[in-house]
Amino acid sequence: MASSSSSLPSPSSSSSSSSSKKLVLRSSDEKHFEVDEAVALQSEMIKQMVEDGFGGDVIPLLNVSSNILSKVIDYCKKHVDFDSKKKMDDRRRWDAEYIDVGVDELYHLIMAANYRNIKGLLDLTCQKVADTIKGKKPKQIRIIFNIKNDVTPEGEQKIRKEHSWAFE
Amino acid sequence: MESSEEVRNWLDLPGDVLSLVFSKLGVFDVLFNVQNVCSSWRKFCKEPLVWLAIDLRYPWPDMDIDLEKVARHAIDRSCGQLVEFSVDYICTDELLRYITERSCPLRCLRLMSCHRVTDDGLIEVVNGLPLLEELDLSYCCTFSNKVLEVIGCSCPHLKTFKLNSRRFRNSDVEWDEEAFTIAGCMPELRNLQLLGNQLTDDGLRAILDGCPHLESLDLRQCFNVNLGGELQKRCADAIRCLSLPNDFDYCEIDPNAHGYETVDEDYPSGFSEVDFLSDDVYYEFSDGNDLSDYGEFVF
Repeated sequence: MASSSSSLPSPSSSSSSSSSKKLVLRSSDEKHFEVDEAVALQSEMIKQMVEDGFGGDVIPLLNVSSNILSKVIDYCKKHVDFDSKKKMDDRRRWDAEYIDVGVDELYHLIMAANYRNIKGLLDLTCQKVADTIKGKKPKQIRIIFNIKNDVTPEGEQKIRKEHSWAFE
Repeated sequence: MESSEEVRNWLDLPGDVLSLVFSKLGVFDVLFNVQNVCSSWRKFCKEPLVWLAIDLRYPWPDMDIDLEKVARHAIDRSCGQLVEFSVDYICTDELLRYITERSCPLRCLRLMSCHRVTDDGLIEVVNGLPLLEELDLSYCCTFSNKVLEVIGCSCPHLKTFKLNSRRFRNSDVEWDEEAFTIAGCMPELRNLQLLGNQLTDDGLRAILDGCPHLESLDLRQCFNVNLGGELQKRCADAIRCLSLPNDFDYCEIDPNAHGYETVDEDYPSGFSEVDFLSDDVYYEFSDGNDLSDYGEFVF
């Protein structure tokens, strides 16, 4: 396993084939993760950097902390594997377990998926938020996501009047 | 740790990410709940991206609302960019016309149990939807073969067609006309669901001949199909996901395989397709989802 100057806390890379090309990713807290190129290229952003001839040894990911990056790499590794095997049920089961996280972690995963442009992970995380919202009233949604209602009762009254069209 | 930072966090999600989240919700959730959470969410709920896929299927909120008006409002919000429209029971010819008049680039139309949609209404709408890739007419009234022919001619990109019915209850009647028409005019089909159809081995043979790209075929409850002679082997060789007349589960193909980027579920959550078989009129929901309390509704 090739090594960068810092430690390699990544749970990844040990099982990867030794012949494939590696890339090293650096998290915002300066931890280094060595991954197969195919895994890193799940991120459209990294793919673009590689295609544009990014020459550095280490790809810095300034907005992603090491614990979130580790989780994101887990996703990308698994999905490289799934893409080659095409087992739908396995993928669904794995995704469901993977995304069973609290709202804080979910938030950071969304941000990482969006920033690194990993479409599958962005879809999965956004679907999880949507599933959390589904069927809930505004008050419940505000509590779950800790959002403050900034519309005054008068404002609500006004909007309600404007949109009475829907009611029989 | 508490609030101020976290409050800022969720409101700091990029607008296009929030729109993507909201696009994965049904119309009622967005209109009656999500957009009333705060002013920022209300703003993003108005983005056309949220309304590219409109899902008006049951369960509906327990309020005295005019569902057709809500449908038109949702279509308006898509600003002519509607890609996927799913509705059951409430659809009418007029509502379909409302979509075609706005020149929407619709690629998926799901009309389940829409008994008020007529042959003429459907012909008019499919004539205006040349980009259609998926059409679900399950449990509607029986459309004439003329309608199926027009669908085949007008929608050359049609890859998924669902015409599930409960006609298996009259399985002593053998009727291959639908199968022959589909075979004759929908050569590009990849997925075909004919649950409860009265076709026989002849109809099935015609479909295998006429739709050479078929990857999944649902023949559950098609009790006139015997798969005699070479037919069973031919089906197994040609079709990747085959559901046979006596199967209970549906052999599913990757729902993400279709090209349009929209909600991928076939039916509302907690609801299995097989539930149709046990109930004549109403869906059964297994998750006990209580939607009776849409307390705050502000558009």
